[in-house]
Amino acid sequence: MSASTAPFKTRYRRSLSDPDLKPRLLDFQRSWRESRDAQVRRLEQRTEQSFDELRRDFAAVKDSVLERLDEYIAEFRSNAEAAGATVVELSTAQEAVDYIAGVCKSRGIDLVVKSKSMVSEEIELNHELEQRGITAIETDLGEWLLQLAEERPSHLVMPAIHQKRQYVAEILGEELGREFDPDDIPAMVASARDGLRRHYLSAGAGLTGANALVAETGSIMVVTNEGNMRLATSLPDVHFVTAGIEKLIPTWADAERQLQLLPRSATAQTLSTYTTCITGAQPGKEMHIILLDNGRRAMRDSDVIGDALRCIRCGACANVCPPYQIVGGHTFGHIYTGAIGLVNTTFHHSIEEAAGPQGLCVSCGACQTVCPVDIPLPKQILEVRHRAHESGHAPLWERVALRLWARPRLFHNLMGIAAAGSGLARLVGLVHRDHLRLPLPGRLRWRSVPALPLRSGQTLIKSRPPVNPLSESPSAGRTVDLFAQCLADRLLPSAVDSAARLIEAGGAAVNLPQSQHCCGLPAFDAGDWATARRMARQTIETLEGSEHQIVTPAPSCVISMQEHWPRLFSDDPEWLERAAAVSERVHDLADWLDGPGRLPDACLSNGGSNSWSAHRFCQASNRNDAGARIDQLVERLTGETAKPLEEPDVCCGFGGLTSLAAPEVGAGILERKLACVAESGCDKLITNNPGCVIHLRAGANAGGASHQTLHYADFLAARLPKNL
Amino acid sequence: MITLGDRIALFADGLQAAQGDLVQCTSWDDVWEHAVGLSDETPVVSPIAYEQLQRGELPDDSEPLRSIADRSVGITVATLAVAETGSVLLIEPTPRDRAVSLLTRHLIVAVSEADIVEELADGFRWLAQQPRAAAYATFVTGPSRTADIERSLTIGVQGPCRMTVAVLA
Repeated sequence: MSASTAPFKTRYRRSLSDPDLKPRLLDFQRSWRESRDAQVRRLEQRTEQSFDELRRDFAAVKDSVLERLDEYIAEFRSNAEAAGATVVELSTAQEAVDYIAGVCKSRGIDLVVKSKSMVSEEIELNHELEQRGITAIETDLGEWLLQLAEERPSHLVMPAIHQKRQYVAEILGEELGREFDPDDIPAMVASARDGLRRHYLSAGAGLTGANALVAETGSIMVVTNEGNMRLATSLPDVHFVTAGIEKLIPTWADAERQLQLLPRSATAQTLSTYTTCITGAQPGKEMHIILLDNGRRAMRDSDVIGDALRCIRCGACANVCPPYQIVGGHTFGHIYTGAIGLVNTTFHHSIEEAAGPQGLCVSCGACQTVCPVDIPLPKQILEVRHRAHESGHAPLWERVALRLWARPRLFHNLMGIAAAGSGLARLVGLVHRDHLRLPLPGRLRWRSVPALPLRSGQTLIKSRPPVNPLSESPSAGRTVDLFAQCLADRLLPSAVDSAARLIEAGGAAVNLPQSQHCCGLPAFDAGDWATARRMARQTIETLEGSEHQIVTPAPSCVISMQEHWPRLFSDDPEWLERAAAVSERVHDLADWLDGPGRLPDACLSNGGSNSWSAHRFCQASNRNDAGARIDQLVERLTGETAKPLEEPDVCCGFGGLTSLAAPEVGAGILERKLACVAESGCDKLITNNPGCVIHLRAGANAGGASHQTLHYADFLAARLPKNL
Repeated sequence: MITLGDRIALFADGLQAAQGDLVQCTSWDDVWEHAVGLSDETPVVSPIAYEQLQRGELPDDSEPLRSIADRSVGITVATLAVAETGSVLLIEPTPRDRAVSLLTRHLIVAVSEADIVEELADGFRWLAQQPRAAAYATFVTGPSRTADIERSLTIGVQGPCRMTVAVLA
């Protein structure tokens, strides 16, 4: 069984066993980011439109087509047929394979040369044709290398990005019967010219994909760099086109809009080398255009997932994906890779194939920020996870853990026991810098286990007098409900207390709603929506008792209440309304300190010169939430300048359950983050989500890093004047 | 609308970014001389280029691609060029029209400076009005390339290894 078709767990282990994969993909992601951003900036300047405007415009074009798909298919068909092409609409992979094989058989064709087509990968065409005695040869260099190695693409546009040059030299050597120097890449590339030429000359058919199907003329548009597509459509007498029905666009003007976004997002080129437009069969030749459904109409009719059909297969979602960088596309995806693969696999293949990698996504939301058609991938991945959970694909430990978590009293009792245990460990010297010295197994050793403080955040608040107001903020004299967050309350109690102090410094009183527990985020994230609903209802009941504004030091809970609750209660008008009434009152602490509870500029300046950098909670940052820019808030309140941190918005690797379900992924992403922190040279790393603090601190502890990690509330509250 | 000089300069930038070269020529003789100077072999020319040049070797009628494969220098003519992207638009309905741009090692594409449009959108507007041209039309932006082996950019894979656009005054 080849590296790419093995069961998920095998692929996961294999990808981790290649020591070169991570650094190579990291290098790739960083260089892509830089060149892609430069391209997008130039595009924005030239068009005087923002990337958001440009992508929404084009997304609207795609949406309008999807809404009236049958009309556009009919228009395309009639124009293409008038130009001499044969257009067939097929429902399944099987039908597509049968059709192509049938045409080949009736024409006596036993060799097909292929230009890159993801749809042909989707239907596993090469393998299927082989079974029927027809040979298909890939002519895109990357695809050819994969075919020689019997592998699948690990990236949508850089299909062989996982292959090392040594390996390439080996497989080319085997195919062509001569030796290659792994360091002479030009020679290996040149071999494709000779190695493939004979196939072009003897093939009976050429097969291509289509980046777009232009309805107004019945044309196909194909974008390539090597020139192989033009060869494959010039020599053989039959031209097959395999394309998903979602590739339809109305006009050539729309094709141009797609090209503004596609090459820039894919390879960071202004335009790829060859943009080829073909209308109809060439004189004396045949053209068969296969419009494939294979789950696409079902996808379109699915509420949350339908937008994924806008995809133009640029691969950008993988290029910014932190877990993709750790495991690559053979693991992060199925045949389609990256974030889009976590979504569309459900429809083109099966929920079983889609389920495996779901747990690898850290929900950081980076994918949507660069998607040139603005697909809400993070939201869709959560939907697929939910479906995977519903069809029984959740690990047992996860289900058990979430059920325990969902019971507030049991959770508090367990945490109390853990805190007492941590206290004992402290007494006998088993705690070092707030972490337990435990003999962890190798795959978990990258992170220490935090020792639980004895007192919870809420207890700390109750056991001290209020802080004197620093200023008369707009919130002076009001009472604010503090939502501590279940995790922070026990694992990061100081941040909860510091949040309360900062609110009080603005003149408001802090109230702690009784029996507050968990908003349901961990269960929602895991796809266990029934449990999430239970937890959300409990939180809503706890918080709806007052009219106060609610503040939390955990932006993840704000996102959970504002974005996930409406999804949890979409079929339950009563709870939907109650949820909305609560979530409307919720503020992230950073927003509060800049808004209703605004503290004055430089009010927390302590005259010292502190050396700090800020990691921004990725999910909030990728949603472009103002509160995520904590470096700006802290600079404003302290008058100090942050030390620049590279990739401040890239995930730290916590990712909720990901760091438990796939510890190697959590560790790999953390390593990337901690390298940036070390590079910054800061003494203190501040961040805004409690989960990130705990994760970054435990990782720094295990790795012996010298900086201190803290929630920005702790960093700021330490500068409040001491109460007399 | 930007000036002709600006369009040429912008086009040159785009082409250079795609690893193509530009030469400015004053006549078809000039284009020919440039091509001849590149190699000892006689340049091969596409049918559309032959109409202008009246010299050079045309692709074979029955086996156009085989007859051209890997020849050193070829000349063809673009219908228009796009300043924004550094691309040329080749209208090549038959394999014989395409042979030169597909398989010669060093491709020379002649385009009249008056045919340099500002944006890719202008190019597509033209194409939308010329349904016949879209039978087989290609915007070519530089020589063929790949980065499929360890992302190492290599110029000249299956198509031309070098591309020069001759801008005719």
